[in-house]
Formats: sequence, C-alpha cells, structure tokens
Amino acid sequence: MAEAVEITSEKYPKILKVALKELQLSLGPKKLYYRGNWDEKIFENCLAVVGSRRLTYYGRKATEQIVTQAAASGITIVSGFMYGGDEAAHSAAVKCGGKTIAVMPCGIDLIHPPSQKKLYREILDTGGLIISEYPGFTQPQTFTYIQRDRIVAGLSKAVLVTEAALESGSLITASYAKKFGRKIFAIPGPITSEVSQGTMKLIKEGAEPIADAKDILDFFKITLKFSKKTALPASALSELRRGKCFTLEEKIIDQLKREPLKADEMARLFAVPVAQLGTALSLMQLKGFINQDNGKYYIN
Amino acid sequence: MLIKVPSVVNLGLETIKVDIEINLANKGLPGFEIVGLAGKAVDESKERVRTAILSSDVDFPQKKITVNMAPADVPKEGSMYDLPIALGILSSVLEFKIPEKSLFLGELSFDGSLRHTKGAFLAALFAKESGYTNLYVPKDSANEAAAIKGVKVFPVEDIAQLCRHFLGFQKDVPEIFPIVYKQSKNENNVVVEFDMKEVLGQEQAKRATEIAAAGGHNIIMIGSPGSGKTMLARALPGILPPLNEAESLEVTKIFSASGGIPPGGSLITTRQFRSPHHTASLAGLVGGGSKPQPGEISLAHRGVLFLDEFNEFPRAIMEALRQPLEDGYLTISRSRQRITYPADFMLVASANPCPCGYALHPKRSCNCSQNQIQKYQKRISGPILDRIDLHISVMPVDATEFEDNQKNSEFLEPSDKIRQRVMQARAKQEARFGAETICSNSQMKNSHIKKYCKLAKDVEAILRQASLKFNLSARSYMKMIKVARTIADLAGEAEISVNHMAEALQYSPKNFETA
Repeated sequence: MAEAVEITSEKYPKILKVALKELQLSLGPKKLYYRGNWDEKIFENCLAVVGSRRLTYYGRKATEQIVTQAAASGITIVSGFMYGGDEAAHSAAVKCGGKTIAVMPCGIDLIHPPSQKKLYREILDTGGLIISEYPGFTQPQTFTYIQRDRIVAGLSKAVLVTEAALESGSLITASYAKKFGRKIFAIPGPITSEVSQGTMKLIKEGAEPIADAKDILDFFKITLKFSKKTALPASALSELRRGKCFTLEEKIIDQLKREPLKADEMARLFAVPVAQLGTALSLMQLKGFINQDNGKYYIN
Repeated sequence: MLIKVPSVVNLGLETIKVDIEINLANKGLPGFEIVGLAGKAVDESKERVRTAILSSDVDFPQKKITVNMAPADVPKEGSMYDLPIALGILSSVLEFKIPEKSLFLGELSFDGSLRHTKGAFLAALFAKESGYTNLYVPKDSANEAAAIKGVKVFPVEDIAQLCRHFLGFQKDVPEIFPIVYKQSKNENNVVVEFDMKEVLGQEQAKRATEIAAAGGHNIIMIGSPGSGKTMLARALPGILPPLNEAESLEVTKIFSASGGIPPGGSLITTRQFRSPHHTASLAGLVGGGSKPQPGEISLAHRGVLFLDEFNEFPRAIMEALRQPLEDGYLTISRSRQRITYPADFMLVASANPCPCGYALHPKRSCNCSQNQIQKYQKRISGPILDRIDLHISVMPVDATEFEDNQKNSEFLEPSDKIRQRVMQARAKQEARFGAETICSNSQMKNSHIKKYCKLAKDVEAILRQASLKFNLSARSYMKMIKVARTIADLAGEAEISVNHMAEALQYSPKNFETA
C-alpha cells in the first residue's frame, strides 16, 4: 500500500523544500506518495542520473561504469524510471547493492513503463524508494514527465546527464538543476552521435565533463569504496599473447578497443574475406571476448 | 448427325478429357446451344464460331446445333473450346473425318485465325499420358506444347488451313519438331537488374545471399531505407543456378495453367523472381479464387519469392505462407474442388527495423518509441521467423567510402563468379540427396540432418555453447546445422568443421534484436 508524506511533515526532504522555494511554492508537490521504506538518510547524498531513452551501447556502458562506483560508495541514484538512460542508471545501482529512488511520472499505483516490472521490484527489494506526486492510477501525460523532472533535480545535490539529444527531457532536468543551483556533470560522447549533442551543449555552458566517478565522489566528499574492473580484454589479450589464438583475432581486439565496428567495416579494414571474418567473430563472441549489438561489435 | 471432337479441361494442374459432342439436327428451328456446365467464355464461343466459319467462306449450317460437353458435371471455363466446336460443325459441312487419337484446343478470332490459348503444355502432357498421338493447337501456343516429347504437335494458323489439311492437303499444317530442353551451362539467360559487383559494401549481406542461393535457404534482411536490401534481392537471380530439366517442366506446368507463357514461348528455363507488392490479395499471393488459380508463391516455384517490406504484409498472408514454407506445396480447398499447387520457393524478405525505418541507422535518428518498435517487429510472427534460416542486418553504406575502392576486384565479385560457386555447391547437394526426394540443404528434415550432417565433437560443442549463449531454439539449432552444411558445400568440403559452424552462427536470429 502506498503511503504519503505532506509538505508540512518533518519527513519531507529538506533539499526539495528549499529547491522549490526557488520556484513558486504553489508549484511544488504538496504531497509525495511513496512505496518502500521512507528513511531520511536516503536523501542525504542524492545524485540524479538522467539519459536519453535511446541510449547507445556506449551510453549504457558509461552509465554502468560511473553509477556502479557512485552507488557502491553510498550515493543514492535518483532517476525517472523511463527506459533507456533512466533504466540503465537504476539497474546499475540495484546491481551493485546501492540505493536508488525512482520518481514516477504517473500515479503511485501504476508501473510505467510496464515492461520494467522486474526492475521496479528490485528497487524496492534493495531498500530503494518509488516516489510520485500523483495518487492512484493517474496515467502519465506529457506534462507529468516534465513535472517529474523538477522533483528529480530538486532531490539531488548534483545531476549527471549520461546522453541527451538536443531538446530532450534530460536537458529539462538539467535546466531545473541549474535553476536550483545544482552541480551538473555530463559524460562526453562522440561528436557524431545525435545523443551527444545535448551533453555537448551542457559542457559548453559550464557543466563538468567526467570520465570516471571520482569527480562526482569528490564533489560529494566521499571516498571510493568499490571499484569495478572494466578492462576485461586484458585477460583475453594475455591469452592471445600466449599464442593460443589467430592473429586475426588479435587484430580485431586491437581495433575494437579503439572503436566499435561493423563486420563489413572490419572485413574491409583487414582485407579478409567476410566469411573468414565472420568465423572469427563468432568464435570470439563464444569465448566472451567481444559482444555484438545492433550490428556493431564491441570489446566486452 | 452426331460428331465427337475430343478436347481437355484443366483443373489446376490436372487435366481431364472432355468430349465435345456436336449434334446438327434437321428437325426443329435453326439455333445454336451449348450445354454441359459451360462458363460464360464458353457460351460466348457460339458467336466467335459462327463468325469465324462465315469469314472462312463456309456456309454456316441452318440447322439446330446442340453442343454437349461431357462429362457434364465438371465446370468448363475459357476460350479453348472454340476450335473443337468449330471443327465439329465444319466436318459436317465439308464432310471430312476427325482423325482419331487427336486432341484440339484453341481460341478463335472473328477472321477464322487462332489465338494463343493457355494450357497447351498441360494438354500435351495429358495427350502423352493418355495415348493421344496428335495435338492441334494455335500456332502461337505450339512451342509450348512441343516441349513434350512423344506427341505430334500441329501448329494451326486458321480454321480454313486446318480444313484443307483434313481434306487431303496434309502438308498445309506441318508437324512441329519437338522442342528440346537445353541447359545453358554458363548463362542463366535471365535479365538481371543488378550485378553483385554493383552492390557496394555489404560484404556480409552478399555472403549471406550467396549461402542462401547455394542451399536454397530462406533469408530475411533487416535494415534502414536505402541500405540496399532491395538491390541485393534483385541481384540475387544472377547468382542462382539455371533450372534443370525436371524443374523446368514443373515450372512450365504452373505457368501454362495460369496463362503465364507468352505467345510463341516454350519451356521456362530461368528461375523465377516474383516480387508481389504488400497490397496483394491473399488469393493473388497464395492462390485461390472461385476457380483456384496458382498464386505468386506457386509462380515462384523453384525460384525466389521476394517480399519487400515484409512486416507491411497482412498477418493472414504471412501465416498462409507457413504451410508452403514447410511442405513446398499448397492445397487450396473449395467446396467444389481441392487443388494442389507446388510452391517450393526460396523466401527472400526485407524489413525495416522500426516504423520510421532508422532504428539501425548510424547517422539519422529514429523517433519511434520502444513500444512502437516492439509492435512493429512483432508483426512478423515467430513461426515464420523460425522458418527463415539466414537473418542479416543490412546497414547503409557511405557511398564516398567506396570511390577509391571501386576497382578493388577482390571485394567486388561479379555475379557470374559467385554463380559458379553456387552451382558447384548445388551439384554436391544433388549428389548427396540422389536417392532422396529433396534436392537442397534447406529442405532437409531432422532425419536427413542426422543422416547427412554428422557433427564432429568439437563442432557440436561450439553449437551447444552458442545455443546457450544466444538462446537458440531447437529449430534454430537445426537451422544452424543446415546453414553450416551449405557453407561446407560452398567450401567444397565433405565434413562440417568448426569454422563452418562459426560462420553459420553469424546469421542466426540473435543478430537482430534491437535493444
């Protein structure tokens, strides 16, 4: 059963109350409905992580890497429970046992999007919170997404934008953050990607570009407690060096470390018949060295 | 006076003898009547026959003429009975005998000449099987009938000529020499829109079409608009082997039944490439109608059925493809009749990844929601996807990337060269399946796979590992073996090796789930 916290209550997060004074108070949520265990500690160190619904493979990897370190070190990850960027942030936090708050754009009794029921459960199971300013089964609407964004930004000391296109919801969250005087972090992406244009704009406007979680942790004045090794191919390479594999595989790994490529592009690059390349790619995939997503190959 | 002229009726691909009985009675008012379940076109033949006889300077008899078509309970359709009816009347007026063991069919023109008529090939086949030695057909249809050896085919130009022939001037209608099937070793004599070397980039997709052509595998290409899916499909006929004699006869039969053989045409020796639009009706695609006609899938028999924009096809049509994809034929059941048409085709499907089409595009952005994408992809049902062996994604290529590469012959193989390899692989399969009813790897059932595709331990290990990792279904597991078999055949090797299996895995369905 969902419970609620009134704005007059002691339990109402202070950081949000203060933030909303910047706006007109009448716009603030008078009542926050929630599911899960309401513990004021969870609001102490909140980081909002938002990103495009059309998150790229790169964006997902980057989100996982940074959120895992931040959440494991005790930072609460706040996001909007949408698929794509939000979902990646919540899942990464849940997976490393960190706390996360999902601010819903719909009524508290609705799970939206419904395909993420499993994640919803996991958030609650790991001591996270589900929050909404709407009661019952209120359907999400275009404006409720934007309203939700002000809570996401208001709850957090800093906002991390993982990937965003121009004129996207993530930039709306960032603009609220700016109004509230919050710190904004952005993950730099390839300039050719559409979902890097928004983060690029933020960086130009003064957001801090980050390459790992350390910058965020410094901001929160927290020390890194856990570091996940992400460079898997080292083991793969050492196996290659011992001469167990073909040189084509070595070439592929070497190339993919720098950028993800399509099979056709690699065939052209290495001047090998695509049949032979396909064989190598399949075998490497089976060994777990590389992965394939939307036609492109990546180092695992 | 009673005259009998034998002709035929085609019910689907089956042919039944029809006796045209013509009675010219002196008693009663002069008239012209046709009975025996005659369709509209048959009934109208009265006017064509009357006018054609008059234009041939013969008096039309002022008698009560009654035509009966026996058996009377089989519906007859079409214009092919003009010739036998006219001939019956003429034989009475000009007093000649209708030769024995002869069949007649043909449509008349008002001036007495004969027009191209469908079904001549089927009639010749029937004549041979039922012991008729002579077949009289319109001149334009004679080549079609002459493809059957053992029947004398007489090409008739007009009815006056035929009458002179029967009145003692035999040489007026010379017998046509049988047309012999010639397999062109190197040419497919097919007019191909694109050569494979015109397709820039798309190395993996090209390789997949080569494998598909070699093993007769169904293939689906998913990619953004303009990435070259249609071009690849249209280049495909150029790498297919020509039809062999038995296949050619099968295809010609279907075309003869549907009237698809042009005037003067004969055996069909090229593989058909059919690309019906997604607005095609169910009957047009799989066959049907109140008098069931072969549909596109039957016209694509032993050839390629290309369904562009596959997920735009109505669900009913896609599901109707399931039986033919499995069995290689389709039975159309109507209350009056049941007709089986062969439909053993290679399915080539192309689809966009999402409604806007740009979900896989590296530069353009896709503005479809996840829901829309899922809904769109689900339009192709699982059972259909399960029957498609090769799944590839086709990415748009950057044309500027290839300006320098144009002359790089290694990457731009002409269709002819690829076809040589395909033909060698097909020859291997024919040798392997000599005693079986199947002729290509794609047709293998599980029992054949057990018999012909013994996997070495390490190969099986790879496949098992892959099926766990990529969540392959049991059917996909078998498909991978079939594809690996074809890859081994292309390489000219007797055993399936680890490399063949690994390459086959590249074309498994997992390659296309968009996140």
